[in-house]
Amino acid sequence: MKYAFFVGCTTLSRLPGYEKSARKVAEKLGVELLDMPGSGCCGTTYLETLDHKTGLAVAARNIAIAEEMGLDVVTICNGCTEVLTKANRELKENPKLRAEVNEVLAEAGKEFKGTVEVKHYVRMLKEDVGLDAIQEKMEKSFRGLKVASHYGCHMLKPKEILMSDDPENPTVLDDLVATTGAEPIDYPNKLECCAGPVMGVRENVTWSVGLDKVKTVKQYGDALVTACPFCYLTYERCQLMQEENPNLPVLHIPQLLGLAMGLDTDELGIGHNKVPSTVVLERLEG
Amino acid sequence: MTITVSREAKEFRRKVMETPGAEKLMRCYQCGTCTADCPIAKRVPEFRPRQIARLVMYGQKERLMEGDLLYLCAGCYTCYEHCPQEVHVSEIVSALRRISLDEGHLLPGFKALMEGVAEMGYIYEIDEFENEMREDDGLPPAPVPDTDGIEAVMRATGFLGKVEASTR
Repeated sequence: MKYAFFVGCTTLSRLPGYEKSARKVAEKLGVELLDMPGSGCCGTTYLETLDHKTGLAVAARNIAIAEEMGLDVVTICNGCTEVLTKANRELKENPKLRAEVNEVLAEAGKEFKGTVEVKHYVRMLKEDVGLDAIQEKMEKSFRGLKVASHYGCHMLKPKEILMSDDPENPTVLDDLVATTGAEPIDYPNKLECCAGPVMGVRENVTWSVGLDKVKTVKQYGDALVTACPFCYLTYERCQLMQEENPNLPVLHIPQLLGLAMGLDTDELGIGHNKVPSTVVLERLEG
Repeated sequence: MTITVSREAKEFRRKVMETPGAEKLMRCYQCGTCTADCPIAKRVPEFRPRQIARLVMYGQKERLMEGDLLYLCAGCYTCYEHCPQEVHVSEIVSALRRISLDEGHLLPGFKALMEGVAEMGYIYEIDEFENEMREDDGLPPAPVPDTDGIEAVMRATGFLGKVEASTR
């Protein structure tokens, strides 16, 4: 299994722990993730709200690189997932729009052909690798550890475009958590947005949204897992800004998977997590 | 305040409704599902998706363009998924942002972000310093984006010119 790996700006520059663990876990599962030469920002979820055609073109330039590689795209950021999936679908389905966008893309020497798919890493794990194959790689167990999943919005919505999971009752992250022996838990407001996108507009709103979830999860579970750099940063940073840190460990989903696979903490960049993951590490058996 | 639906107000409403995704505005029966489920509305009293829909119906442009209102939407699509009438307030907000850009009122933070993408190819600078840190972590250098290509694309649509001209 081989994919074009679209890491995304925020993980590339701020979250080595996410990228390292995503790469290591893929390697362990025999999945090859190839870098995309010349790729850049997906366009951000904001750009498309400001100018539809430009949003499509900036996203399509990246997709065109994967097309040249002859590979489907795997993303690890929900924002990139939504932006690239939306552009890919719209341009595949609307020949008139595709022609208009290709005219603009010629400026960058690229052409969108519509030959590849885009999927989030967790979807690739569940649909392409399969939960059984992941389970087989587990050498250790988080038996008894209660883990809350935060899906984030743009992995799931709008449903008719993302078509990845039920946005009202998603299961992919909980299913992955279960492969580690941990207990996936439900909690109130599980599907609430992290409000990461308004961090640059009114920071305090994001911290308030983040802290509400942290406090809720604290009552029901031992740790939170995310699959998006923005969600992760919200739940980590909102804790660091409190006088009394709630100390809820937040892990990137491949970090939890990797630990249960027996990979060591350095390989998974656990040391980069600013809320200590001690309580999680202590529960690893075997 | 008294609301008069002037010709300008109707024209404004028409402009919003012309935007793909925002066509269904007039289906809104003000049930408030969007506001009830909005993660931002829970914390920001002046951000009311239902009110945004109503203000567009009455063409209340000034009130919509005020402050950072349009930029408070997190784009989480909760209102999009939950609306019983498929009004898609999130898409109405996008339509309003496009008008704010056309009229030179892009929020300064968004202006800087978009100019950054054109200049650096990423939303942050990712160069030697970041790549040294990446190397310490055993990670390959970040892809070098074709910044000329990205800027050319953003300019060819007229978008970058509008962003640069925005003076709020």
